[in-house]
Amino acid sequence: MPEIRVTPLGAGQDVGRSCILVSIAGKNVMLDCGMHMGFSDDRRFPDFSYITRSGRLTDFLDCVIISHFHLDHCGALPYFSEMVGYDGPIYMTQPTQAICPILLEDYRKIAVDKKGEANFFTSQMIKDCMKKVVAVHLHQTVQVDDELEIKAYYAGHVLGAAMFQIKVGSESVVYTVSGNLGHRKGCLVEEREEAPPHHHILCQGDYNMTPDRHLGAAWIDKCRPSLLITESTYATTIRDSKRCRERDFLKKVHETVERGGKVLIPVFALGRAQELCILLETFWERMDLKAPIYFSTGLTEKANHYYKLFIPWTNQKIRKTFVQRNMFEFKHIKAFDRAFADSPGPMVVFATPGMLHAGQSLQIFRKWAGNEKNMVIMPGYCVQGTVGHKILSGQRKLEMEGRQVVSPHLSLPALWIPLGWVEALGTTTCADGPHTAMLQLEVKMQVEYMSFSAHADAKGIMQLVGQAEPENVLLVHGEAKKMEFLKQKIEQEFRVNCYMPANGETVTLPTSPSIPVGISLGLLKREMAQGLLPDAKKPRLLHGTLIMKDSNFRLVSSEQALKELGLAEHQLRFTCRVHLHDTRKEQEMAMRVYNHLKSVLKDHCVQHLPDGSVTVESILVQAAAHSEDPGTKVLLVSWTYQDEELGSYLTSLLKKGLPQAS
Amino acid sequence: MDPECARLLPALCDVLADPRQPVADDACLEKLLDWFKAVTEAGSSLLLLQDHPCLVELLFHVLKPQDLSSRILSFALRLAGIFAAQENCFQYLQQGELLPGLFGEPGPLGAAAWAAPSVRSGWIQGLHSLAQHPSALRFLADSGAVDTIFSLQGDPSLFVASAAGQLLVRVLDLALCGPAEGRISLQAWDWPACARKIVCHLEDCLRSKATPRVMQALHVLTTAFGHCHGLWTQGLWVQLSPLVARLLEKDPVPAPHALVDLLLSVARSSMLSSDPGLWETAAQTLSHLSPTQAGPLAAGILKLQDCPQALRIQAFGVLLQPLAFVLEATAQAPGMPGLLEGAAGDLMAMDTLPPSKSACVGLLCSALAHLELLQPLPQRPSPWPQAPLLAAVVAILRLCNGSAAPSSEAGGRLCAMLGGCVRVQRAALDFLGVLSQGLGPQELVTQVFAILLEYLVSPDSSPTVLKKAFQATLRWLLSSAAPPGCCDLEPYAQLVLGELLSVLRKRLCSPCWEVRDSGLEFLTQMTRHRGGQAGFRQALLASEVPELTRQLLQDPESYVRASAVAAVGQLSSWGLLAAPSSPEHAATPQKTPLEELLLVLTTDSEGFPRRAVMRVFTEWLRDGYADVAEDPERFVARVLQAASGDLDWEVRVQGLELALAFLEQLLGPCGPSAAAPPGALAQALQALCRVQLFEFAFRSLFDCDRPVAQKSCDLLLFLRAKATPPSNSQEVGDGPDVTSVEAALRRWQAGEQGQLPQQARQAASRPCGETF
Repeated sequence: MPEIRVTPLGAGQDVGRSCILVSIAGKNVMLDCGMHMGFSDDRRFPDFSYITRSGRLTDFLDCVIISHFHLDHCGALPYFSEMVGYDGPIYMTQPTQAICPILLEDYRKIAVDKKGEANFFTSQMIKDCMKKVVAVHLHQTVQVDDELEIKAYYAGHVLGAAMFQIKVGSESVVYTVSGNLGHRKGCLVEEREEAPPHHHILCQGDYNMTPDRHLGAAWIDKCRPSLLITESTYATTIRDSKRCRERDFLKKVHETVERGGKVLIPVFALGRAQELCILLETFWERMDLKAPIYFSTGLTEKANHYYKLFIPWTNQKIRKTFVQRNMFEFKHIKAFDRAFADSPGPMVVFATPGMLHAGQSLQIFRKWAGNEKNMVIMPGYCVQGTVGHKILSGQRKLEMEGRQVVSPHLSLPALWIPLGWVEALGTTTCADGPHTAMLQLEVKMQVEYMSFSAHADAKGIMQLVGQAEPENVLLVHGEAKKMEFLKQKIEQEFRVNCYMPANGETVTLPTSPSIPVGISLGLLKREMAQGLLPDAKKPRLLHGTLIMKDSNFRLVSSEQALKELGLAEHQLRFTCRVHLHDTRKEQEMAMRVYNHLKSVLKDHCVQHLPDGSVTVESILVQAAAHSEDPGTKVLLVSWTYQDEELGSYLTSLLKKGLPQAS
Repeated sequence: MDPECARLLPALCDVLADPRQPVADDACLEKLLDWFKAVTEAGSSLLLLQDHPCLVELLFHVLKPQDLSSRILSFALRLAGIFAAQENCFQYLQQGELLPGLFGEPGPLGAAAWAAPSVRSGWIQGLHSLAQHPSALRFLADSGAVDTIFSLQGDPSLFVASAAGQLLVRVLDLALCGPAEGRISLQAWDWPACARKIVCHLEDCLRSKATPRVMQALHVLTTAFGHCHGLWTQGLWVQLSPLVARLLEKDPVPAPHALVDLLLSVARSSMLSSDPGLWETAAQTLSHLSPTQAGPLAAGILKLQDCPQALRIQAFGVLLQPLAFVLEATAQAPGMPGLLEGAAGDLMAMDTLPPSKSACVGLLCSALAHLELLQPLPQRPSPWPQAPLLAAVVAILRLCNGSAAPSSEAGGRLCAMLGGCVRVQRAALDFLGVLSQGLGPQELVTQVFAILLEYLVSPDSSPTVLKKAFQATLRWLLSSAAPPGCCDLEPYAQLVLGELLSVLRKRLCSPCWEVRDSGLEFLTQMTRHRGGQAGFRQALLASEVPELTRQLLQDPESYVRASAVAAVGQLSSWGLLAAPSSPEHAATPQKTPLEELLLVLTTDSEGFPRRAVMRVFTEWLRDGYADVAEDPERFVARVLQAASGDLDWEVRVQGLELALAFLEQLLGPCGPSAAAPPGALAQALQALCRVQLFEFAFRSLFDCDRPVAQKSCDLLLFLRAKATPPSNSQEVGDGPDVTSVEAALRRWQAGEQGQLPQQARQAASRPCGETF
């Protein structure tokens, strides 16, 4: 019996690294290979030892599929392929393949630089890993091997995000990890879509099945998979309307700029940044505003490059107008130079990274934090421990790392106290290297959080389930309580089984394989002659002879089967004796049987033959005296295999006895 | 504990105990546990609990029936385990009946919360932490925990089930290892009750007809023999090995993977590998399991340092069998040596390979992978059948690309199964590359190069296959140590070089970046090793490859640009980057490679190519590349100027690396008696000032990125070692110059960054002994 087994190694009742093992009819696929940014030890990667236990990775796994470029979906990939030793194919869309290494490289640099981590994957490993990637086009059916095929569907969410259908024979699984459902929890170098813990998100179910400013809507055809695996982060979240959020965002930026303040918007280079840039560009144009808007150096070009390259992945409006005007070539948004941060007057700066944990955004934040006229707008979730997370949690005095040169002979205390630092808390010393001083920064600037996630809530997930019409649903990447709510909703509304395994738990779905059988025209005509039109929703019983030849199944009439196979027909009759206690004569007994059957089997032709026997279709009933007991009569019932059903029924009927004569 | 943390602890416990304040992220609880673990490892848990009663209150709080989240309950269980790992603290918690409440029947075991895998996992981890002392063992035995652990071995969560198995091993080890270890009998029936109970359970599992139960026992034993080295492991093996051997009587053999893991774990254990019964069981296992199942055991046996020769032969036979079948099925003419001669060879039947394509592919791939890992090992089987293996791999590659013309029915079947199979191609090419270490007879070497060229030329080769084909070709071309009886490779290499460069030219123009990149990596390595050989130089210069490589510096893909940088670096080092000969280029003066790479360094938007340039420049400087050697000061100045302003910290680090190389050239390598002679030092320091090395180094000290600052420290310390005679090294830093350097740096830091800190520079350029 073929079965589907799903084991999340990550993202099972949690929102950490995504890594789901799916086994369909003996084929093993890993869906996503994410990392958890919250850890800097072994725990940041899924525990792959549960796979290696089954033998060599490359022998065990048929392929790895990556849904999109967020690190909690692809961050462990170089580790998995270059350090753990997976050497098989990795599938992802072209934009994901292009953008993935940038993020991985970014994270590697942060891990090695800020956290001083050794034994991390190297640039070369990222490259070698990316060389194992096979790019998949949308709606292209990719044959992984003779039995396993995959197909990508547009998911919106972020550039290049895809839902994947995995098919082995008649069984299929659809993985909709993003589909604008996805959020990217745990990513340090990118945005996350979740509200900080102290915020309650306002509600309105606006699942992004509609296009946003730069990406299209997720779409999948009615593929009726055996299983739909879907992310459920926003299972119970209802959000305020997108237009309200946009209006609010523009209002806040405008007010700050009007009063001469500076606005810092920490972003990740690709994705939401473009969305907000288009928004501000249009607003600036409409309002004829003069304050400069800047974007981190180099990243505008990079982002532009990818959006130009992957224009078919953007939404219809951008695609249509692209020939006349590239929406990503902004008139008001210029490249940022670090010297601009000290310029007087208002300005808006989009700077990376999005969580204020390093780099340009943190440098600018340090400079501007001390002025109450300024504002920082966090458009995404921030991982614990980052400056972004701290200020969103309401912290106004931040302990931050400063650095000073220390050698026994060269000591430069307090050289690095930038504007806004008010006191030094403590100093650590080390023998011969740079050491850090913990300093305190008072944040006077305004801090705003505005979620611009590529969102999907319960409504959106339900919509997708309705669209795909799966036989079973499995929820991942969400919190248990929220999943429970959604699970009930799905089970009630769609009457399908819904599962929510924890990490390490295996869900096994027995599947009933549908075996295609060809039916002969003759047999079909005979069925049609009975006057019943076929109805796709009502299964119908059809009698015939099944011929299995060369892996093909055909149902034909028995006559045709005999002819095709060159066989002679043999009549096979089943015979059964029914003993009834009755002292009457055989003829009288036969008449009673006739009367009884005639009254019960009204739709059948019941005959009493001159020789005393009774027939019902091909069934023959004869009454005889018992050789040893004259008080007992024996009813001999005989029927052909064609009337097996009726013969059995009739026998059971007679065994119950005949009604008493009136 | 930090006073600040101590102050925060009650508030933290309040938050954790309050169900209205859900903890959003498991990661923070994990980290909190890490912190508690560190605190308890550094000091007394008992004192910690006595000083902070809020912790015990928190643990009591979770015992109350309430709507507490499973993650907090799990956290509390683990926390209690961490505290109770110290015996006095365990007793303290026991007095309060806290531990039975948490880990016994009245605790989560009987509650609805037990349904959450995180709670079950927390329960196991808590017990694992506390299982450190005799009191804990008594507690485990008396509380009925061991029975619960038995049942958790079959938990639906892999994580919980696996942790339960590990906990059983921990309990066994605790019961049998300790002060009384020497007195522990080798007979399991004399062991303490708790250990006996576990052994009985394992026996029951091994006798069970249910495969999952057998598997649980095998996993526990594998962990025990893999991680524990007490004498008791011998007793356990003696007791259970007959039951393990009896598993082989079942058809099919239950849990073959787990059985193989167990046998290998026992074989690797120094305590147990002397048991002759083990080798007998291993031999039986090899013959009972299917070739796919037996492969890992065979490979594991062959990697052992010590094991019976007969078993090694049998194991090698298992790995060779699939390849032997291929060889026989594709043999064109008799006379070719087979892989399995004698009895093993005769046994080889037509149905050696599995009937289904995927199973056949899987078997071949794993056999190739195991052999690939074995080949370089000193304990690999000897004699190593190099020639037939080569023939078999070539045959497999031919079957895969359709160039084989099998005459037998089996060959035809193989052809149909392997045709176009990328997975087998990759595995075979990897193994073929490894086989270059042994070379082979002339005819086979010709075939090897021919098939490699076929793969490199073929438009059907996927990028991953091409990469492996390039790597295998490189290994064969660079293999020069020809053992006696094998042909000299050089003539073949020369023969294929022309064709190879023509393929490379084509591949460098591939629309796939992966292919262009693999081609460039191949070229770089070839040039690095063969750049001085006349034949290679001649062939390369006659091809368009160098010019194409130069053009790839402008490739749209940054990885390719980086590889092109490395290739240009190598080609230039060997003088193989000739000026273009075409007339259209004649009018415009051609940039030198140095200028081209400088352009990449200053203009490329991606860090990867810029870092590649820095690596090449450092190599050039160290190796005395002609363009650099002409005027090293100018070269270093230009590079440092570009690197110091780079946004990528790794480029800046490499800039400092280059500066260090420059220093070494001027002052000699670092060593114990490293001080440079005064005259040379003065000159060197002046040169360093001219190339503005000090500006770069001082600025780097304050770099936002830690590795840059660290590298700068390394550089300055190196310079100090060179500038200071050993006798003065303790006194330096107390002199008046330090103040002036500091003052200069402060001013510089305060806003004169563009300006050279004159005083610092003067101080730095002063002769030895006066500064640093």
